[in-house]
Amino acid sequence: MDREHLVRQIDNDLGAKLADLAKRGPKRVYLTVEPQHSLEVNRYLYERGGRLATATGVDCPDWIEVCYHYCFDALNVVVTVKARAYKPACELDAVARVFPGAAFIEREIQDLLGVKFIGHPDPRRLILADDWPEGVYPLRRDYCHETHTNTGRAISPDHGRARVLSALRRG
Amino acid sequence: MEEPEFFQLYVEGERVVDADVRLSYNHRGMEKRCETLTYDQIPLLLARICGICSASHPMACANALEDLCGIEAPPRAQYLRTIICELERIHSHLLWVGLAGHFIGYNTVFMWAWRYREPVLDLFERFTGNRNHYENFKLGGVRRDIPQEAIPEILQAVDDVEKPTLMLTRAVLDDPVLGVRLKGIGILSEDDARRYCVTGPTARGSNLPIDVRRDEPYAAYGWVDWNVVSQPQCDVFAKAVVRLLETLESIKIIRQCLQKMEPGEIDNEPRSIPEGEGIGHAEAPRGETFHYVRSDGTNYPLRYKARAPTFVNLPSFKASVIGAELADAMLIVAAMDPCYSCTERMAVVDRGRNLEGLLTTKDLLQLSHEKTARLLKHHGIRPPQWES
Repeated sequence: MDREHLVRQIDNDLGAKLADLAKRGPKRVYLTVEPQHSLEVNRYLYERGGRLATATGVDCPDWIEVCYHYCFDALNVVVTVKARAYKPACELDAVARVFPGAAFIEREIQDLLGVKFIGHPDPRRLILADDWPEGVYPLRRDYCHETHTNTGRAISPDHGRARVLSALRRG
Repeated sequence: MEEPEFFQLYVEGERVVDADVRLSYNHRGMEKRCETLTYDQIPLLLARICGICSASHPMACANALEDLCGIEAPPRAQYLRTIICELERIHSHLLWVGLAGHFIGYNTVFMWAWRYREPVLDLFERFTGNRNHYENFKLGGVRRDIPQEAIPEILQAVDDVEKPTLMLTRAVLDDPVLGVRLKGIGILSEDDARRYCVTGPTARGSNLPIDVRRDEPYAAYGWVDWNVVSQPQCDVFAKAVVRLLETLESIKIIRQCLQKMEPGEIDNEPRSIPEGEGIGHAEAPRGETFHYVRSDGTNYPLRYKARAPTFVNLPSFKASVIGAELADAMLIVAAMDPCYSCTERMAVVDRGRNLEGLLTTKDLLQLSHEKTARLLKHHGIRPPQWES
């Protein structure tokens, strides 16, 4: 089996469940899925021999995007599943139900971004301290360092300095 | 990134029956910090994730950023990157061999392994100006070149590293005490290795021959001749064998790089960063480091994710320690070569006897040393006298 074959197979088997399938160069494939299909698509990739390298949570305006990165080592390709957890509930099915390798990273995303992973076998905190306030998520874009709260309004960690400088430099 | 960890072991008598691990006592918030740094500054911060993998994270970062920009570094820069990454693997694996020796009360191994590691650090100093934290990686290339006329001298230094490493490798592999003490303990089956998604020597010691250097060749790994070392036994000894033999492969790679490298450019910096996303991974001494970056086209990333290998290797502890003896618990953790500064202590709960208490590293070392001594007596072996 080669890369092209894998992509064709993914498209054939999952096509209806994918909101988008994008190839960026020969070695990177990005799949976008709605939350109800996340578990099935993840299970499919794991069972086809994908190794979950990790997952990245990204805070977007209307949802938290959880990007599960699967390495297909023998084929030299990384397939990323972008599952959207819509705000305010931010719920996704836990992939840790399928294999334990997903457990730690889902706990981390739950702590830092507030995604609730339904059916997670061990949903205890992983990263945050025991006395960290409930419901405050430090990696969200609206997290304020001074008040230690989520303000509901996107602020960059440096109060916009980076973005203003960047815009000025570009003219 | 996380450092100290806390293991809670449930035992019945001497047997471990369940295990739990807590981490993140020392979270540094580096991913959040990256959102305020320019793409030129990020590799410098990422080098600080670890004092030992301080080439691997910037390497993965360079791969991710180059994936985002769709560029490649010039060949000479690729060779220089490879040499630094492999020197790092040698000194990291020698450090591990020394520590493993110490954990079983075999301090001769500890002394010699760390002694042979020193010349590698000296080589680093000549290459990059620093024994650790090399600061040589950047988007599009490397920051410092080495003079072409210094190469014969460096080749000589590599030879000087190879001889004792070979001697140490043979001595460790043939040593009856180490064989008796490390074989058959801490089994992580191939199936469990896959379920826990482990990487690096932890995977290769469990019969999963995965290695980013071969599977997605970056830097100069595709241009030189070397082998992926894997072992089918799945125990602690298999992981030791993988690390020792890998060290010799690293020397092979470095020598070829030095010979093949031709004078040329070392930097191919892009004019600007496009909007989009990039993924880069690299094989650190402990396994795969995985980086993801998302850009909105400004000088600062929207999101930067860095995953160190211990984050995926550590949970597999639960699979390999259950059923083991308490005296082996520390060795089994050490076999993953977890990257943290201080495992302060372990909590032990004896379910049968209703005992509960904290054991320190010292207690666990003592238990491990006592077991080695017992085995030596049982097999009638006297520890061999080592010579230089």
